[in-house]
Amino acid sequence: MAGTIAVKFYGLLRRRLRTAVVEIAGDELTILALLRLAEKETGQSFLDELLDRDQGLLTGTIILVNGENIRLRQDLQTRVKAGDSVALFSPAGGG
Amino acid sequence: MTGWMGKIVKIDLGNRKQETVAVSDATRRQYLGGRGLGVKLYSDLCSSGTDPFADDNALIFMTGPLTGTVMTSGRYQVVSRSPLTGTICDSSSGGHFGAALKGAGIDGLIIEGRAATPVYLSVHDGEVEVRDASAFWGLDTQQTQKGIQAETSSKTSVACIGPAGENRIIFAAIMNDKDRAAGRGGMGAIMGGKNLKAIAAGGSRPVAISDPEGYKALTARLERIIDKNPVTGKSLQVLGTSVLVNIINAHGMFPTENFRRGVFNDAEGTSGEKIAETLLERQSACYKCPIGCGRTTRTRDKQGEGPEYETVWAFGAHLGISDLTAITEANYACNELGLDTITMGSTLGCAMELSETGAWKENLRWGEAGKLLDWVTDTAYRRGIGAELALGSKRLAAKYGRPELAMQVKGMEIPAYDPRGAQGMALSYATSNRGGCHMRAYMIAPEILGHPVFLDRFSTVGKAELVALFQDVSAVVDSAVLCRFLQFAVGISTFTEMLRTVTGLDFSDEELMKIGRRIYTLERQFNNRAGFGRGDDTLPPRFFNEEFQTGSSRHRQVLLEEMLDDYYAVRGWDRNGVPLPQTLADLGL
Repeated sequence: MAGTIAVKFYGLLRRRLRTAVVEIAGDELTILALLRLAEKETGQSFLDELLDRDQGLLTGTIILVNGENIRLRQDLQTRVKAGDSVALFSPAGGG
Repeated sequence: MTGWMGKIVKIDLGNRKQETVAVSDATRRQYLGGRGLGVKLYSDLCSSGTDPFADDNALIFMTGPLTGTVMTSGRYQVVSRSPLTGTICDSSSGGHFGAALKGAGIDGLIIEGRAATPVYLSVHDGEVEVRDASAFWGLDTQQTQKGIQAETSSKTSVACIGPAGENRIIFAAIMNDKDRAAGRGGMGAIMGGKNLKAIAAGGSRPVAISDPEGYKALTARLERIIDKNPVTGKSLQVLGTSVLVNIINAHGMFPTENFRRGVFNDAEGTSGEKIAETLLERQSACYKCPIGCGRTTRTRDKQGEGPEYETVWAFGAHLGISDLTAITEANYACNELGLDTITMGSTLGCAMELSETGAWKENLRWGEAGKLLDWVTDTAYRRGIGAELALGSKRLAAKYGRPELAMQVKGMEIPAYDPRGAQGMALSYATSNRGGCHMRAYMIAPEILGHPVFLDRFSTVGKAELVALFQDVSAVVDSAVLCRFLQFAVGISTFTEMLRTVTGLDFSDEELMKIGRRIYTLERQFNNRAGFGRGDDTLPPRFFNEEFQTGSSRHRQVLLEEMLDDYYAVRGWDRNGVPLPQTLADLGL
C-alpha cells in the first residue's frame, strides 16, 4: 500500500496477536517508533517481550527489513521508509 | 564407573555366537559412548574398505553414559559405514529406544554376519536372544513394532526396518517408538542386508548415578532453564521445527525446485504456523523430554507423526508442492516404509530437474503432488521408476549424465538451508564427515536464529573456527547421548556438569572439547583411508556459479575456498585435509 510500511508477524507472536500483518502509515521511522505504532494498530503491546533488560533486542528475536536483519544495520534505530516490509519473528529453533 | 552399564555385546548373526566386548575405562573416558565410542569400536573392527553389505561389516547400536538419566536421554546412535556415502556414518534417533536398551542392561550392541533367515534380537536382562522374524518380514514399521510388542511385551521398545530396509534401499531408515527415525545414511539398508528385521529392548535396570544429590539439583535446575528458554520452553512446543519454514524463506534461502530459487511463494501454506492451525492433534515427546517438539497430526484420511521442518521442505518447496496434506501423507508413508525423507525428497527434486532438462525421459513435473505417494512407495519396493529413485540423487544424476544436478555432498543430500544464504553453513556441509548434513555443525543457529550470538551470515570471517567448535560440541552431545535441541538452552559447561554428576569423573569443559575433536578427527581419518580428501569437501557447482535473482540471498555465491584453508589450519590438518602427525599425537590417535 502506498505510503505505508508493512509489519508482518510470525511464530508465537502471530499466534498471540492473532494478526499476520498490519500496514502502518508513515515514512522515515525508526524500527522502535514503527513497532510502537504497530502496538497501537493491533491494540496489543508486544514490544516489551522483544527487548531485554537493557532495552536491546532479545537474543533470538529476528527483525528483518526487506529481508535484511536489523542487527546488521542500526538495530532498533534502523530507519525504514514507506513501501518497506518489516518481518518480526519471535525466538525460534529447529533442525 | 557409574553412568555406563559396563557391557557391550557383539553378536554374529551368521553363527549366532555372542561375546562381551571389553572396553577399558580409559577408552570410555576418551570417547564417552554413542557416536564417539561407536566410531571407535567400528574403526577397530572394520577397515575403511569394508563393503557396507558384506557379512563382516559391523552395525553398532550405542547408548551413552547419560542415556536413561537426565531429560532428553532416550536417544541412541547407530554407527557403520554408510551405503549411501561410503563414509563413516552415525545416525541418531529419539524416542525411548536408547533408554530401553540401557534399561535392558547393555550400553551397546555390535552386530556382524548375516542371518540365513529373517531374525530379530530381543534384549533383556543383559542378554541378547535371536528370534525368528519370518512372520514380520514384509510388514511395515508400524505393523512390525506392534507385532513384536505382542510377542514380547507391550512395554518393549522396538527399532525396526520396513520394506525399504528389507530391499536395501541405500537411504532406508531405522524406525523406533512408532515414528522416530534414525534416518540418514541408510543404516536401515544394512539391517536389511543382515536379515535383521528389528531389535526389541526392554528392562528397568537403573543407571547408577555417582552423585545422586547433585543430580537431583542439576535436573531441577535444568527443568527451569529449559522451561524459561523461549525456544525449548515455547516455540518448539507450540510450533515444532516447522516454525523454520517462514524464517528461512524470509531469508531467501529456502531451497525451492532443487535449489534453483531461495524463495517459495507458497511457504506460508506449509509453515509450522499453518500446521498448528490445521493438521496438529497434539505435541509428542521423547523419553523424559520437557520440550515435546514432535507433531502428532491427522489428515482427512490418515494419522501419524510429522511433518518436521526438513520433511515439509523435502516434499514441499523442493518439489514445488504446496499441498500440505500430500506432504504429510508422503511423510507418513516414509515412516511406514522406513525411508529417509530428506534423501527421498531431494532425489525426487533431482529427478524432476533431470526430467525437465530432457536428460531423463521420465515425466516428473514440479508441483505434481498427486503422484508423490506412488513415487515414495515405488522407491521402497524398487518398482517402476522407483527402482531408479532408489539410487539416491548422486547415482541417479550421474547415470543420466548430469551429476551436477544432485544436491549432495559426499553422496548425502543437503537439507533445507541453501548454503548461499549462510557461509558458515556452507563450510559445515562441505566438511561434514557423513556428507550433506546440517547436524554436524548447525551454523543456522548463529547465522540466522541468533543463538548463542548473532553473526553476519554472508561473512566468512571467523566461520572456520566456529564450524570446528560446533562440530566438536555436537560430537560430544551425540556421544553423551542427548538431544541436540538442549543446545538452544545450555552450553558445554552444563554438559560437563551432567557428565561429572552421572559418571563421577572429573571432566572439564576443555576435556570435553578435546573429546569432540578426537571423535571428529577419528572420523576424518576413517574417511581419508576410504579415499575422501579435499576434493570431496565441496558443494555442487550450482552454489558457486549460479545466483538467485530474487529474495534476500540474491546475488550471492558460496566462498568456500577461502574458508577451507582456515578450517584445515584450525583443525591441525594439512592442505589436503589429512590430520597432521602432531594433531593425531595430541589427541592420542
